[in-house]
Amino acid sequence: MSLLVELSNVGRDFDGGRIVAVDGVSLAIEDDETVAIVGRSGSGKSTILNLVCGLDRPTRGEVRFEGRAVNGRAAWAAVRASRIGIVFQNFFLLQSLSARENIEVALLGNLGGARQRRVRALELLAHFGLAERATLLPAELSGGERQRLAIARALANRPKLLVADEPTGSLDVQTSQSVMGIIGNAHREFGTAVIVVTHDEDVAALCGRRVEISDGRIRSDSRTAAMPKPSANP
Amino acid sequence: MTELTLPLRGLLARPLRTLLTVLGIALAVAGFVALTGLTAGVQHSFASGIDENGADLVVSQRAAFNLVSSTVPKALGSGLSAVPNVEAVSGVLLNITTADDNANIVMAGWPSDSFLWKDMHLVAGRIPAPGDQWPVILGESIATALDKRVGDTVELQFQPYQIVGIASFSSVLNQNSAIVPLEGLQQLLSREDVFTLYEVRLKRPLEKNDIAVARTRLIAAAPGFAVGDTEQFANSIRIFDLLKAIAQTISLVVMAMASVAVANTLLMAVNERTFEIGVLAALGWSPRRILRLILIEGVIMSAAGGVIGIVLGVLTMQMAAKTNFAAGLIVPYLSGWSIAQALIFVFIAGPLGALYPAWRATRLLPADALRRI
Repeated sequence: MSLLVELSNVGRDFDGGRIVAVDGVSLAIEDDETVAIVGRSGSGKSTILNLVCGLDRPTRGEVRFEGRAVNGRAAWAAVRASRIGIVFQNFFLLQSLSARENIEVALLGNLGGARQRRVRALELLAHFGLAERATLLPAELSGGERQRLAIARALANRPKLLVADEPTGSLDVQTSQSVMGIIGNAHREFGTAVIVVTHDEDVAALCGRRVEISDGRIRSDSRTAAMPKPSANP
Repeated sequence: MTELTLPLRGLLARPLRTLLTVLGIALAVAGFVALTGLTAGVQHSFASGIDENGADLVVSQRAAFNLVSSTVPKALGSGLSAVPNVEAVSGVLLNITTADDNANIVMAGWPSDSFLWKDMHLVAGRIPAPGDQWPVILGESIATALDKRVGDTVELQFQPYQIVGIASFSSVLNQNSAIVPLEGLQQLLSREDVFTLYEVRLKRPLEKNDIAVARTRLIAAAPGFAVGDTEQFANSIRIFDLLKAIAQTISLVVMAMASVAVANTLLMAVNERTFEIGVLAALGWSPRRILRLILIEGVIMSAAGGVIGIVLGVLTMQMAAKTNFAAGLIVPYLSGWSIAQALIFVFIAGPLGALYPAWRATRLLPADALRRI
């Protein structure tokens, strides 16, 4: 167990400081944790998630990943490419690429040749029950299939941290449970730390730690033992 | 999936815009190719036309502005003839005029005793004889184009000439020329005591250094005049430099326009694909890789435009050379270097145009980009 992400007194302002989305947030996440960041809409939870994975730049404070301060677009891109997988509420799949290519695009630059990327993408598609959908475009997939594809893409580079922003927000109850099951499995099977941003208490209850955000600040930070600890890496 | 997949899909996703941009680049390249090829064609055409007559060296006015404005005094002939190893010299008077007020034609006035007549390959008729009134030998192509035969009349320089022969040449310039006795042409042009140039033929067999040695001697015999082979003669005519400068300036402007077209297209593409770029950044694509993605799109469009443009340019050049205005005077001449120049231009203009949009794409914060769904 070691420290994976550390936010030290981080703040994020918008509109020249007139909007303070996040203020004075300090948060340390271990590499075997499952964390739910909860809060109402506009509370600042998604902004915190963006700061955790370098999609956004803090106005104040520092973000450290695996003990190192990460600064600049290129440095964060390198971290995301090999260490962080991101799942978005709206899937954010590239519409002009097939299911297989949507995974391969995440592997470009990380995994050698086109053939290796193809094999890895097909492996992941099979693992997530999408083998038969490899050549279909995202528009031809169901909502659940799209989210599974988005998770498969996020796990393509065997990340240390899986970040999910409202991963069940666009899905029905049954598909939501299935998606959370997949995320839980990723944690158990691959030892991936998980941070989930959600406003759904049922989803939050599946995580081992619950961080509540309100008005851009952490209001509470509590641990449960909901999601089982990861086993050894397969 | 390779590095080319996304740029290609990006371009194919907006086929009309891509096509129009490629067409813009193609037209720019075609303009460059056609202008360069036609300019070089005029020069090459005159060089090969004079070369075909059997001259080894040409004596002309130094840095003459254009072909017909070169003036060499008749009196120079005896000195040139006296140079060792010179077999014969012949003054030539050149003029560009219209035949029957229709096609442009080069008139060449040759002295009746010139060695140039000897190598002429007649396909009909004969060479002018003493006592002929305004005789002319037409090149085979111009005779066919004007539907003229031996015995017909053709008006040259406002003077009706009697066609006494039709000759076949290998160069397009000579195929479209009219060869007349020197005296009549001098009279028509009021240039009695001057030639356009002297063509010099050396004694055979020619040894390796004979031409260089003879050239040195001819320079001494004709101080202040240019002495060189036919290619050097064509290169020394200043109007060709002017034409080249005009062609290059126009090409440069057109290429700059092509670069702007690429920039505009890619800027629009970057704006429209902000979200896609945000997703790629979220997946860990480095700013450098994103920059490369946009640059590759610029290069693909440029390459396609370059290839299409070269084909279009060659076709345009061929069509232009066949117009009445240019037929016989211009033979398109496209060198490998001209094609290389066009491609160099294209591979600079394309990425140059793509550079700013690509840079803009790398400046986006992923979170900002992803907000623009």
